[in-house]
Amino acid sequence: MNSRPLMLLRFATSATEEIGSTPHGKLSIFPVTGGSFEGERLRGKVLAGGGDWVTAKADGTFELDLRVTLETDDGALIHMTFTGVRDDANHYLRTLARFETAAPKYAFLNRLLAVGIGQIRPEGPVHAIEEIL
Amino acid sequence: MNTRLLMMLHVTVATPQNIGAVPHGTRRTAPLSGGDFEGPRLRGTVLPGGSADWLLLRADGVLEMDLRVTLRTDDGALISMKSFGLRHGPPEVMAAIGRGETVNPATYYFRTTPRFETAHPAYAFLNRLVAVASGDRRAEGPIYTIHEVL
Repeated sequence: MNSRPLMLLRFATSATEEIGSTPHGKLSIFPVTGGSFEGERLRGKVLAGGGDWVTAKADGTFELDLRVTLETDDGALIHMTFTGVRDDANHYLRTLARFETAAPKYAFLNRLLAVGIGQIRPEGPVHAIEEIL
Repeated sequence: MNTRLLMMLHVTVATPQNIGAVPHGTRRTAPLSGGDFEGPRLRGTVLPGGSADWLLLRADGVLEMDLRVTLRTDDGALISMKSFGLRHGPPEVMAAIGRGETVNPATYYFRTTPRFETAHPAYAFLNRLVAVASGDRRAEGPIYTIHEVL
């Protein structure tokens, strides 16, 4: 499959909210307090208020479910979601990202699917998001 | 991004159910009557019972696809596959697809993002991966080339 870089996305998170064991597994919420994104076609900051709903599954992997709002440097708001898998045993953190925006300049985001290659760094999670061509 | 081939999936579409204009767009459900899949690590058939593609044509002309398929491998494992996808392209290409014509899949965007769930230990690796697929809409049903994201 062909892809091309869309953005490098960094999140700042605050203290994890541990919901605990639910019927689906152990649920932890990672509130997103900020961050930044940068790519050839868009750049800006991550607004506070989103988060990643992370469920620890019985097989030792984590299911990710993220919702955030991105604000571009020219003032457009972009709703971003991803689902994904974090499998620490195999150093695998991959996400499937989608975007929604009303800004005509960024309407191309409404029409694409994307994959994220994630890393957990000391300063927070970093995701290299690639557009699926 | 590195990927490797997971499978080719052929599905056959039964008579679509035209739900019509709904608040988010125009909704159509395409039940699947069967199909098959084949890849280096798994092969088998598509079960028709709970398999369908829930389609929503948005106001911007993009078709959202919400495919849910039950796969049965040749050694009897059941695998649930769900994939969200987008399809769009030049109006004349989309019209040709609508007429059931075979068109070059490079002329439009038809991509999906499959996820899998299974209880069978031999296929547990599918629970731990995300995948991307490119589609080729044929008259009898789409052909998906599904790649594991490495």
